[in-house]
Amino acid sequence: MAKAFGIVNFAGNHVRVEGLQSYRPVAAVSFLGRYRVVDFPISNMSNSGIDHIQVYVRRKPRSLNDHLGTGRHYNINSKRGRLHTLFSMTGNEQDLYNNDIAAFYDNMECIESEDFPYVVITPSYMIYCQDYTDLIETHIESGADITMLYHTVDNAKSAFINCNVLNLNKQKGVLDMEPNRGTAKTRNISMDTYIMKKELFIELIHKAKKTSSSYTLADIINMECGELDIRGVSHRGYFAAISDFGSYYNANISLIDFKTARSLFSKDWPIYTRTNDSAPTHYFESADVKNSVISNGSSIEGTVEHSVMGRGCQIEEGAVVKNCVVLSGVKIGKGVHVENMVIDRNAKLIHTPEIIADPGHPGYIKRGDTL
Amino acid sequence: MKHNNMLAMILAGGRGSRLHELTNKVAKPAVSYGGKYRIVDFPLSNCANSGIDVVGVLTQYESILLNSYVAAGRRWGLDAKESGVYVLPPREKADTNLDVYRGTADAISQNIDFIDTYDPEYVLVLSGDHIYKMNYAKMLEEHKAHNADATIAVIQVPMKEASRFGIMNTNEEGQIIEFEEKPEKPKSNLASMGIYIFNWKLLRKMLIADMKDTDSSHDFGKDIIPTLLNDGKYLYAYKFKGYWKDVGTIDSLWEANMDLLDANNELDLGDPTWKIYTEDVTALPQYIGPDADITRAFITQGCMVDGEVKNSVLFTGARVNPGAKVIDSVLMPGVEVEEGAVITRALVADGVKIGKDAVVGSADSEHIELVSKRVKGVE
Repeated sequence: MAKAFGIVNFAGNHVRVEGLQSYRPVAAVSFLGRYRVVDFPISNMSNSGIDHIQVYVRRKPRSLNDHLGTGRHYNINSKRGRLHTLFSMTGNEQDLYNNDIAAFYDNMECIESEDFPYVVITPSYMIYCQDYTDLIETHIESGADITMLYHTVDNAKSAFINCNVLNLNKQKGVLDMEPNRGTAKTRNISMDTYIMKKELFIELIHKAKKTSSSYTLADIINMECGELDIRGVSHRGYFAAISDFGSYYNANISLIDFKTARSLFSKDWPIYTRTNDSAPTHYFESADVKNSVISNGSSIEGTVEHSVMGRGCQIEEGAVVKNCVVLSGVKIGKGVHVENMVIDRNAKLIHTPEIIADPGHPGYIKRGDTL
Repeated sequence: MKHNNMLAMILAGGRGSRLHELTNKVAKPAVSYGGKYRIVDFPLSNCANSGIDVVGVLTQYESILLNSYVAAGRRWGLDAKESGVYVLPPREKADTNLDVYRGTADAISQNIDFIDTYDPEYVLVLSGDHIYKMNYAKMLEEHKAHNADATIAVIQVPMKEASRFGIMNTNEEGQIIEFEEKPEKPKSNLASMGIYIFNWKLLRKMLIADMKDTDSSHDFGKDIIPTLLNDGKYLYAYKFKGYWKDVGTIDSLWEANMDLLDANNELDLGDPTWKIYTEDVTALPQYIGPDADITRAFITQGCMVDGEVKNSVLFTGARVNPGAKVIDSVLMPGVEVEEGAVITRALVADGVKIGKDAVVGSADSEHIELVSKRVKGVE
C-alpha cells in the first residue's frame, strides 16, 4: 500500500483545447480511440498502489463523471480504495477565481481526512506513465520538501507553449518556474506533478488563499522556491501535454507509430479505461486500412490511412479518412473524403464530399454535427 | 429473482471432445469465440439481458478456468443484491458421497438444495455451449400463456438434417405430442435447442424420482422429457427464429467464426439492445501497420496487423507480422504469426506461435486444420 493519496488536478487557464473543450474538460477528452486523457494519471496511481484518488472537476462534469463512474475499472480495491470526484463548491464561473487552490480550499475536509502522510498531485491534461512507488521513496530519502517531475524537450520553441518551465540548479534544485513563451529550443517542462507531505500541501493552500485569490498551486510553489527545498526529477518515456488543439491532434497522431507507442505502453503498466462491451471491428471486402489505430465496435468499408479511430465508427464504401483523429460513434458516408481533421463524437459526414484541412493546421468538426 | 421468479441453470460440464486439443485444458463453454468472447458469454449475457438475476453454472470437466471465469458475475452485470452467478461443481454432502454428475438431469438433481434456497417458481435449464441470442423472458411469457408444465425451445432445421437432432412433433397449438431423439425418418423439422423452462415444483418431484430410478440415464432428453410426455403433461414448443449454433467440431467452430464476416450476419454482435458481455481485457487498441492489407476480417483490441489478413477472425492480442498471410483462418487469443508465414484454412489455438516463413493449412483441405502447437519457422 502506498504512503500517499492521489490528487488528479483539473487543467488550469493555460490549457485550451479549442472545440473539444466546449463539451467536456480535457480530462474527459477521448484519447487514442479507446481512452480518455484522465485514464493515464489514474492508471499511474492505481498501478503504483495509490488507491485513494481525488479527481477534481472544474466545470462541465457530465462526461467525466460518466466515464469515472464508481472507478471500479481502474482496478483499485473496491472496499479499501476510493475514487472520489470533487467539485469546486463555490461554483465561481470566473476563470480567475475558479482555480485549483479555490477547489482544494472548498474541499479541505476531504483532504484533511485522507489518512496518508504524503500526497501525489498530477495533472489531467498530460499523457505519460510514471511509477510513483519509487518516486515517493526518492522523495522521502532526499529530505526535500517537494519533488517535481519534469521532462526535457528540444521542441519548446513550437510545443508546450504556456506550460511551466523549470529552471534548475546543478543539483536539480528548482530555482523558479516560468511559462514557456517559446523562446528557447531546449527546456525542462514541468509535468505539474508534485510529491509532498500532506501537511505542507494544506499549508500551501492556506498561504496561497491569503496571498492572492487568483493564485494556483503552481503559483504558490513558484513563490516558495526560495524558502522550500524543491527538487526536480527527470522523467523518461513518452510525454505529451494536451494544452491546445494542435497538441491534442499531434499527440494522437504521434502514437500511431508503434515504436512511439511502445515508449508509452508496456505490458506491466496497464492503462485502464471504462469499456463499452463493443464487438470487435468488422473490416469489409472493400476496406483498406493502413497505418492506423482502430478501436472496437466499428465497421469499415472504406479507406483509413494514418488515423486514429474511436469506438463504434462507420466508414462507408468509397469514404477516405486520412490523417484524422476520429472520436467514437462517427459516421463517414459513401464517397466522403476527409483529411487532417479532428472529428468529434457522433458527427455524421455524409453530404459534403470533401472536407480537407491544411496539413499542419488540422480542422475540427463539432460533436453530433451533420455535414 | 423478484421480476420473474425464474432461476437459470447452465449445464457447462461437457468436455466437447471433438474439439480435440482446444478442450484439453478448458471445458467447451470456456472456448474462445468471435474475437473476444467465450462461448458461455452467450447464455450468461442472454440471462442478464432477459432480467434473470440468479444463474447456477454446473461445471465438471476441466473447470479451473471456467469456474473462475463465470464466478466474476459482474462481467455480465449479475452482481446486484440478490443476484449472482454461482459455480456448482459436484460436491460431497452430509447424506451422500461425492459423486460426479451422471447426466444433465442429475446435475440439477444434485443441486436441488441450491435451487430451493431461492424458492423460484420456474427453472430455466440451458446449455453452456451454444452460440445464440435469445430473450428468455419472452419464452417464459409463452410458457405462462399456455399454462404449460414445461416449455422447450425449438428451432426449424433443414429437413435433411433433422435426423441429427432431437425432434419435437407438435399439434397446431404448439403442444408437443411426441419427442424423437435423432429419428431416422423425422416427422417434423423442429429441433430441440436444449433450452427448457420447468415449473420448479413439478421438476423437483420428477428429479427426486429420477435419482432413485436405476434404469434412468438421468438425462433431460432421454429420461425427463419422455416421462413428462408419458405422464400426459403439457409440453409446449417455443419456436425460436435466429442464429443458433452448437459448435461441436473444429469445422463448425471455424464456420461459426466465419459467419461473423457476412455483412448481414444474423448474430449481429453489434446490436446495442442485446450486447454480449465478456471479460474486460486491458489491451491497446488495434494497431494496423503501414504494410497491412485487410479485407473481410473481424479484428479486436490488442491485435497488431502488419501483414495480409483475408477472410479471417483475429482474437485478442493476435499478431500478424509484415509479409505474413492469414487467409480463411481463425487466430485465437495471443497467436503470433511471424514474417512470411502463410496460414490458410486453419484454426490456430491460444498463444501458438507460427514461425518465420512457415506454411500451415491448405486452400483445398476438406477439414480445417487445428494448430495447437508451435510451428517452427523455416531457417
